[in-house]
Amino acid sequence: MKRSLALPAIALVAVAGLAACDVGGTGASQPAPSSQQLATGAQVSGEITFWHAYSAGGGEIDALEKTIIPAFEKLHPGVKVHDVQVPSDQMHQKLITATAAGSLPDVVRADIVTVPELAKLGVLAPLSDDMPDFQDWAGKMYPGPLATNKYKDKFWGLPLDTNTKVVIYNQDALTAQGISSVPKTLDDLKADAAKPGAGKYLFAEGGSGGWNLLPFIWSNGGEMTNPEVTKATGYLNSPKTVEAVQMLVDMYNAKQLPSNVLGAPGAVQTSDGLAKGMYDTIVDGPWTFPNLTKAYPNFKPATEPMFSGSAGSISVVGGEDIVMTQQSKNKALAAEFIRYMLSPEAQQAMGKVGQLSAESALAADMASYAPYYAPYLDQLKTARPRPATPQWAKVDDIFTKQVQQAFQGKQTVQQALDNAAAQIDPLLAQG
Amino acid sequence: MSVSTSPKTRKVRATVPPRPNKPRRGGASRRAPHWWVPWAFAAPGLALFGLTTGYPLVRSLQISFYQWSVLPGTASQFVGLGNYVRALGDSQFWNSVENAGAYLLMTVPATIAIALAFATLLHRPMPGRTLFRVIYYIPVVTSWVVVSLLFRYLFTTDNGAVNWFIQDIVHVVNGPVPWLEQRWTAMAAVSLLGIWKNLGWCIVVFLAALAGVQQDLYEAAEIDGANAWHKFVYVTFPGIRGTVVFVTIVQIIGAFNVFPSILLMTNGGPAGSTEVPLTYMYKQAFSFLDFGYAAAMSFVLAIIISAVSYLQYRFTREKKEARS
Repeated sequence: MKRSLALPAIALVAVAGLAACDVGGTGASQPAPSSQQLATGAQVSGEITFWHAYSAGGGEIDALEKTIIPAFEKLHPGVKVHDVQVPSDQMHQKLITATAAGSLPDVVRADIVTVPELAKLGVLAPLSDDMPDFQDWAGKMYPGPLATNKYKDKFWGLPLDTNTKVVIYNQDALTAQGISSVPKTLDDLKADAAKPGAGKYLFAEGGSGGWNLLPFIWSNGGEMTNPEVTKATGYLNSPKTVEAVQMLVDMYNAKQLPSNVLGAPGAVQTSDGLAKGMYDTIVDGPWTFPNLTKAYPNFKPATEPMFSGSAGSISVVGGEDIVMTQQSKNKALAAEFIRYMLSPEAQQAMGKVGQLSAESALAADMASYAPYYAPYLDQLKTARPRPATPQWAKVDDIFTKQVQQAFQGKQTVQQALDNAAAQIDPLLAQG
Repeated sequence: MSVSTSPKTRKVRATVPPRPNKPRRGGASRRAPHWWVPWAFAAPGLALFGLTTGYPLVRSLQISFYQWSVLPGTASQFVGLGNYVRALGDSQFWNSVENAGAYLLMTVPATIAIALAFATLLHRPMPGRTLFRVIYYIPVVTSWVVVSLLFRYLFTTDNGAVNWFIQDIVHVVNGPVPWLEQRWTAMAAVSLLGIWKNLGWCIVVFLAALAGVQQDLYEAAEIDGANAWHKFVYVTFPGIRGTVVFVTIVQIIGAFNVFPSILLMTNGGPAGSTEVPLTYMYKQAFSFLDFGYAAAMSFVLAIIISAVSYLQYRFTREKKEARS
């Protein structure tokens, strides 16, 4: 009996002890933002570290390490930039562990959806405060990519590269199925969806997250949140949003949409299916082209803007922002490096290896590097970022799971979006 | 300590008396060593254990009572048992535990039965025995990541090898089975991988146990007219019973900790229906930065595993006592 009481007693003492342990420093929820002004053209020296997820295969690393960094170091004799490649699927986890360990680099090429989260954690320097020339840079950018850097009225980064999604189609497959022209609107898509017949699909979508479904929702006039990103109810479950998702669910139920939309790893990948003639159209990014050329040299993909609805043709912005960490010991050099990464020389070098610049003045240059860039540059004019919130990962998870249950017939689309909005509201309220 | 009282030591002492003015190196054997001596020997191992297991364990227990802030220097909010209460009421967490339970039921009995059968076959002298032992052990040393991706491709709905076989070759289904797109078929596919991957390890352990069963018992059984099945039931199985219990406990703990195969084959989808505790915790911590909640769930899971292991231990021990 004594023994059976001892264990809970020890546990209680341990809990009390742990609770009393010092787990915080100052008690402030965020470190004070730096107020130093990182003027352009300042004398810089020393070393910085730059984390990125550029891919080694497509020539991006070569462009960075053999062209851009050497040119920057030549421009500022004596400085050194150490670049570290982190696989893109590990970047978020590595940033989080580095945050906990206090070992963040000076500059990071961060996925656009992680910037508000990192800003909320207090690890980023507010570039709109710290760089006196911030407005000059911001003015050069497409509005969609720029908006991904905003959190609580400040900008915590600048768009380093951007992308969006357009309709990519297989003309031969359409012709073979007697479909005279590629669907241009959501109504066309709905009307022609039954034509391809068994085992073939007019359209395939590779998932049911915000990245996948928001172009349909926005083009149809729906929304995910209010413009301030503080509320989902009334937006995510509005008639226009429900209608857009319902259209896809109806297509899925009628076997006019393959199971990829459930994020199913068991289905043929959208780009593979497109090249093989299983799927007539997909909505995807510019990286699809080099991949298709490599895997299917004889296939000639064609493009159209995102299917338009009552609100127009609105796609979703992807890409990366360049940010500076609060922990940086050499912010002057970090700021100078950010400026160089956004300079025409660096942007053009990256444009040649597949990284689309977010600076509208460089659109003509970009279009000259690869013919498939042009439709993306056009689409970027109306493309929108996913709601900029530090809670995006959770918001997207809730949205995805609820919508997938609607696809599986476990609830109606209205129920799914009502549930999602109710769960997302408190998250957005946390800011 | 027992050495000083053994007859052998006494004999040595009688024939070779110690020199009184010069203490011998073996002097410690004659009296109890200082209390700290065993601790000193254990210290390096204990230090390593403390650093790599003890500290993280205590630290994660501490984290589980907080709304944990990742950034050093910022305050974490103490929430007491809040994270535990949240875990107990989280249907998605219990759904993940249910999936782990289903995985356990689908993998552990099958793995042990098949491993026992193969081990019994491989224990007999036969040509190419070593080759077969190596072949069955190969899945154990292969990377979880590689074989999970391989199984994912095997179970692809369109053009997957499994669907091709059951649909086009043996004609047991009319259309492709969406293996990884539904909860139970996905769990079955992941379980098949689990059985295939763990089989080799179980076989090796059973083979070692089979080698320890006394041969004369088989001879005695034969004289008594026992056939192969009787010999397995009445001689082999009682002889390796302890090993079977050990393997079962290890496999059950392993089943609750299933992680890479789920992450890579279904990533918990669709709609979170194939989530297991480790994938769910991993997402809470590293996708949503909810480290306190993830830590609390890990302790809830540890309690569940301990309870299951304890019950199993009690169950098998009572049987043993009843037999003796």
